[in-house]
Amino acid sequence: MSSFKPQNNRAWIGVLPVLLVVAFSAVVPLMTVVNYSVQDILDFNTRFFVGFEWYQETLNDQRFIDAFIRQVGFSLTILVVELPLGIAVAKGIPKESRFTPIILILLALPLLIPWNVVGTIWQIFARPDIGLLGVGINALGISYNYTVEPLHAWLTLVAMDVWHWTSLIALLSFAGLTAIPKPFYQAAELDCANRWQVFRHVELPRLRGVLIIGVLLRLMDSFMIYTEPFVLTGGGPGNSTTMLSQHLATMAVGQFDLGPAAAFSVIYFLFILLFCWLFYTSVVRTDD
Amino acid sequence: MAGISLDNLSFKYPGAQDATLSKLNLNIANGEAHALLGASGAGKTTLLNILSGLLRPTGGVLRFDDLDVSNQQGRERNVAQVFQFPVLYESLTVAENLAFPLKTKKLQSKVITQRLDYICSELELDELRSVKPAKLSLFQKQLVAVGKALVRPDVSLVLLDEPLTAVEPRVKWRLRQTLRRVQADLKVTMIYVTHDQTEALTFADRVSVLTAGGILQTGTPEEVYASPEHEFVGHFVGSPGMNFLPANALGVADAERVGFRPEWATLTGNQPSSAQKRGHLHGSVLRIRVQGAKAGKPFGLVTMATSQGEIAIRGYIPDTSITAGDSLGVCVHRCIGYTNELKVSDIEFL
Amino acid sequence: MLELSNICLRSSDSVPFIHTFAAGEISVVLGANQSGKTDLCRLVAGLNTRASGNVCLVGTSLDRVSPRRRPVSMVYQAFVNYPNLTVFDNIASPMRARKQSSQTIVQAVNDLAEKLRISELLGRFPHELSGGQQQRVAIARSLAKQAQVLLMDEPLVNLDFKLREALEVELRDLLRATNTVVIYTSSDPRDAFNLGDQLLLLADGEKVQTGTPLEVYQKPNSMVAMELLADPGINRFSRDGTSCALRPEHIGVQDGKITPAGLMSFDMLVTAYETNGDESFVHGQVEAQEWVMRSRGMLPVHAGQRLTVAAASQDVVHF
Repeated sequence: MSSFKPQNNRAWIGVLPVLLVVAFSAVVPLMTVVNYSVQDILDFNTRFFVGFEWYQETLNDQRFIDAFIRQVGFSLTILVVELPLGIAVAKGIPKESRFTPIILILLALPLLIPWNVVGTIWQIFARPDIGLLGVGINALGISYNYTVEPLHAWLTLVAMDVWHWTSLIALLSFAGLTAIPKPFYQAAELDCANRWQVFRHVELPRLRGVLIIGVLLRLMDSFMIYTEPFVLTGGGPGNSTTMLSQHLATMAVGQFDLGPAAAFSVIYFLFILLFCWLFYTSVVRTDD
Repeated sequence: MAGISLDNLSFKYPGAQDATLSKLNLNIANGEAHALLGASGAGKTTLLNILSGLLRPTGGVLRFDDLDVSNQQGRERNVAQVFQFPVLYESLTVAENLAFPLKTKKLQSKVITQRLDYICSELELDELRSVKPAKLSLFQKQLVAVGKALVRPDVSLVLLDEPLTAVEPRVKWRLRQTLRRVQADLKVTMIYVTHDQTEALTFADRVSVLTAGGILQTGTPEEVYASPEHEFVGHFVGSPGMNFLPANALGVADAERVGFRPEWATLTGNQPSSAQKRGHLHGSVLRIRVQGAKAGKPFGLVTMATSQGEIAIRGYIPDTSITAGDSLGVCVHRCIGYTNELKVSDIEFL
Repeated sequence: MLELSNICLRSSDSVPFIHTFAAGEISVVLGANQSGKTDLCRLVAGLNTRASGNVCLVGTSLDRVSPRRRPVSMVYQAFVNYPNLTVFDNIASPMRARKQSSQTIVQAVNDLAEKLRISELLGRFPHELSGGQQQRVAIARSLAKQAQVLLMDEPLVNLDFKLREALEVELRDLLRATNTVVIYTSSDPRDAFNLGDQLLLLADGEKVQTGTPLEVYQKPNSMVAMELLADPGINRFSRDGTSCALRPEHIGVQDGKITPAGLMSFDMLVTAYETNGDESFVHGQVEAQEWVMRSRGMLPVHAGQRLTVAAASQDVVHF
């Protein structure tokens, strides 16, 4: 019996260009790094196969472990702040008002600013001597100087990220909220549900989809954060704001330790993958 | 539970030219199953939203029993609503969904359990108690939505907004039956809004036919079907609707037009060319639609072109050899006379 | 003439079937939800589906013809129109795609618009139309393609009752006048009679029965076939070890105590009564089965009552 479906065969031809692009853009560079990570390279012609030595070294490196802990702490902190804040902002946007488009554009503004500009803005904004924020906080009687105090630097970094990216969560949530059919609200009103119950049982379940996307985007993105702390604090004071990417850059570009840096990169990449996978599967599993 | 009364109730959307609802008067008894029947755009949804408290009437008064609720919030009125598609709390189980309107009212847990048991057994939902809505069929979901509307002991009015739309045709009547049974058991006042005459007439004790913001007739399904007060009611109720012809076509003198149901007439075979008798017509067959057969005799709908307009006749098809184009006589047994679209007479032909 | 062979609507172990749809007729494909109606349409249209089989139009195989080159047009349950085009441009779009002269297009669009009674809407956009009007536009567009095969996948399901009634009559007259293979899917047995010249019954991806609606109605080959064409259901009972069934409209209330010759009588305990004016439905228990009786007009019946109901022996279907 023939069950010939022409469209299935042709579909492969359609996918081919994408496969080629992915191969060149992702797989080939990645393989180069994997190749470097198992060799000790002295110069162009001298290289030794070292197996997993660089990996072991990286994982045992205290500076890596510190940067890793800082990184995880940072990513979780900004998620904990940005998620509720973003939803709260989205809930505050009027759904059918002539101001809605204006509000949405204003909200989207921070998303349009390049990373290093964001860093520069905050570098100046938070300066205790001439920055509005820095001066303001000090004027309140709180001694604040992010260039000296590790905690202040860290908080400033979090504040900057929140300022830069909460809009993303807010816009996603707003899109999710507007997609909820009106009868759901009406039914809750007639059930005498209070605002919290409406949020908890009507809105939150329907926001799940967009929030999963939002968390994944922010998780991946914050794990890769580089430019902003580099411009704001240069990773200091001390190493208090040195995230994984900056540590890696120091190794690869600063010290030219290509082997360990490659091993680091692979580990780094696997960690991001692992985190996203863990998050995604845990969310999907609670579905059933 | 409450009786509902509309007293000159009007509604006009801000900026609109014409009122969407104009001076509606309607009394619905406590415990009555009432249907609002009308095409899209007749103002059904607006009226529904006024009843549920989503909109405020711009004129007239809405009363629940003797209480003027025109300006009350929906939550103050103890109204429940079942929507076109099942509206449930998706993160809660069936039992939690059913208990939700009771918990917000801060009822004792003993009362909640009791009501839950009652509703679950009444709607045969016991086995689904711990299931989340995502695992239910549309029929089951809508059944839960109905349960949620009926679970409150003090509910004064249950609004049903075309609740069978999303349900598969094959099980529609079962849900309608369940609704009807529960309505009769609980004696809850229900208002069922629909464009589907079958649903309206099978569900309701009384039906109101709504068009262009006004009620044309309120009556029992029998009254609405058998003696439409307005030509539109005759056309809108019944499938196909009433046949309308100029009154002189049937020899009726005291009305402008006459209307008769497809089954109020029979085909009589070829008409002798004698002088016209009252209640007799002739025309040529346009289409024959067989709808079944009983004891070997096919029945269905025959559409005829007469000199005064097109008519449809329902019943046994007298001769299976008739085809489109054949000339046949028609004998009308009963018709209703209309002047200015309003009923003026009811005529039985001998 | 559209010939289907080796048709498997489910990828699993269903028995492949053959069916031929004739041109100039409306073939109603009747089946419950998930019975494979839509898969059948998608297979004919060449769209991605789990159904498989060979499609042959007037002797030419369409199997290797891409969807866009097939002489097939389709009307969906949802009202699908180009939102950015006026009604005129929507209807004209399939003709423009075939590079027909603008004079022909104007002529054809006006003709179609007149037939579907949307002439005065030609300048409007789809979002300015009611549901019934939008579906008329979609139907006009599908006819403008002048395809040899027209697929209609429950096109009237989302319309108001009265609109549906009117469109059914119009569609029937309109489609019969074209020499097209029309495949109309539905889950409503009334559509079979109202529209169908031929009927194909599907259940669980398999062909159940074919024939004219009246043939299938009078001689169903199985309980499934009988049930598919029953409104609202069938009444089962058994006599002398064979299972039998009656259609709801074949049962009536028996007048006297004595059952006349040629009739069978049953005791019914009425559980519910409903009427829609021209018809009434009596639901009840007969021989421990759920029964429903459908009769003309209204009956003086109420729940809890015991009735003697009767049906002509020749209306009983034995299996």
